[in-house]
Amino acid sequence: MNHTRLQRCLEPGLSILVGTADPAGVPSCCRGIAIESHDAFETLTVYLPVATSQETIHNLATTKQMAVVATHPRDNFATQFKGVTLEARLARDDEAELVRVKLEALADVLDRIGVPRRTTRTVAHWPAFAVTLRVEHVFDQTPGPNAGSRVR
Amino acid sequence: MSVPLADIRRCFQGVIPSIIATADKTGLPNVVYVSQVYFVDDRHVALSCQFFSKTRRNLDENPVACAEVMDPVTLQSYRLRLKFLRSERSGPLFETMSLRIDAIASHTGMAGVFRLIAADVFEVVRAEMVTGFLTEAPVDVPAGASLEGMRTEMRGLQWVSERINRAVGLEALLSSVLEALEEYFNFSHTSVLLHDEANHRLTTMASRGYGASGIGAEVAIGEGLIGTVARERRLLRLTSLDADLRYGRAIRREAAEGSHALQAEIPLPGLPDAQSVLAIPLTIGDRLVGVIAAEDRDPMRFSEWHEAYLDILANQIALGIDRMIERGDEPADSPAPAEPATAAPSSAAPRRCTRRLTYYRQDDAIFVDDEYLIRNIPAKILWKVLGESMRTGRTEFSNREMRVDPSLGLPPVKDNLESRLILLRHRLQEKCPDLQIVSTGRGRFALRAEAAIEMTER
Repeated sequence: MNHTRLQRCLEPGLSILVGTADPAGVPSCCRGIAIESHDAFETLTVYLPVATSQETIHNLATTKQMAVVATHPRDNFATQFKGVTLEARLARDDEAELVRVKLEALADVLDRIGVPRRTTRTVAHWPAFAVTLRVEHVFDQTPGPNAGSRVR
Repeated sequence: MSVPLADIRRCFQGVIPSIIATADKTGLPNVVYVSQVYFVDDRHVALSCQFFSKTRRNLDENPVACAEVMDPVTLQSYRLRLKFLRSERSGPLFETMSLRIDAIASHTGMAGVFRLIAADVFEVVRAEMVTGFLTEAPVDVPAGASLEGMRTEMRGLQWVSERINRAVGLEALLSSVLEALEEYFNFSHTSVLLHDEANHRLTTMASRGYGASGIGAEVAIGEGLIGTVARERRLLRLTSLDADLRYGRAIRREAAEGSHALQAEIPLPGLPDAQSVLAIPLTIGDRLVGVIAAEDRDPMRFSEWHEAYLDILANQIALGIDRMIERGDEPADSPAPAEPATAAPSSAAPRRCTRRLTYYRQDDAIFVDDEYLIRNIPAKILWKVLGESMRTGRTEFSNREMRVDPSLGLPPVKDNLESRLILLRHRLQEKCPDLQIVSTGRGRFALRAEAAIEMTER
């Protein structure tokens, strides 16, 4: 188990991708805003903007399977989590600050690599769905010869 | 909301990485960033297949995918519903996509490790705008060239053609071209490198926006962005260079932990913070004459219009250079021209100091006062005329006598003597201004020394 790798997935400024599939196996993707884990990634919660994640939520309601990738945009360090959805709910008001802070941190990182902060701030982020996943597999997703290798 | 692919072409410039989701035969999803989504035509895109083995396996089991691409100016997101058709491992599409990856790989010292395995071609079943992705309506930025812009560019084409046609020498031709690119298109950082077949390298012969230090800079064929363009004889337009280099460096870092032997990273010539590059090979038939390159700090600086336009210009420039190289010699029966007023004999000027020139025979390199001056054939030429001048007092020379001297190692055809003399002249101006090579007419030059010369050979 790569402890450092998982720690980096809790750092601010991450770009989050989510993949699902419908019952016929047709895949779908959307961008998340934040992830959180309080149990060393036995489970993780990903926050998805309501405005853009309807299809993802619809897929999860039937198939429950989900892939989440957390990437550091500055060095492309990336980790993919796969597992089964335990819960999908509307995020609570007390989670709004966490989502806002994570988006702001991403805006800071993207600003440093050329995407203006004001542009990132126009990305819809609230209200959000909070989807909790039981993590079954963790993969190294950093581009390179090790991409796709299993780390847990 | 469905949108035509042609309306979202900015999304395919690679400024913001795209994502692709696939699923295996059991429906287990996989999602990854993809380094390049290439616009093929109104109904097809191609994705670069490099390391995404899981994506690849999923497509074999379940040939459908969903990609999300983003407009780099507005950040508006679009979803593409894709049907996998085939993998191409050769052919024009593969080569076009491969060139970009090869160039980045070479630049980051990853040639051969970081490469395109296949161009995966998909039918775009539907492209749709992700409604609600932005909380504010994106600012409408017109895409493509306006009629006014096209008029300006047509005028620019006419102007450059005229300059190429009228140029009296290679140096004038190259500087006119770069001047025109700045005047008409605001390309303020440009360079022209000429191919030296004798040593398989490209040498910077003219530059604009970098200061004099760019002249004489060399790139080996196949090395870095420009060297890759030269080797492949194909135009390269890179946007978001910084993102591409970060991606390449991530792979380099990962690969460095394995057993791959890596080359040292080649410093990017020119702007240290360039975000976009346009490099165009100058060719006549299959023969490489050189490369013309432009770079900018704006990641969106070069559009497809520039690519097509500069490709036309490149053909004219290549022909112009070739013409200059062909006619470098004086006619056999022409008399030596009268001495121009600017090339006054060196003996008339007071000698102020002593310059110590050292020729390192093993490296074919000349140093002046312990500072590198020049190497290879231009160094041999300088050493020959300096020696002749010291022995006989002669200061006038002809291109023809250089060509017939086998010790200089000039190739028998297309010897680029003119460009080698230009390079020598520039290097002397920069590093030893009191020693000059002065053109005294077609196919002739003179050596002018305003300092005492001390020659040492090692």
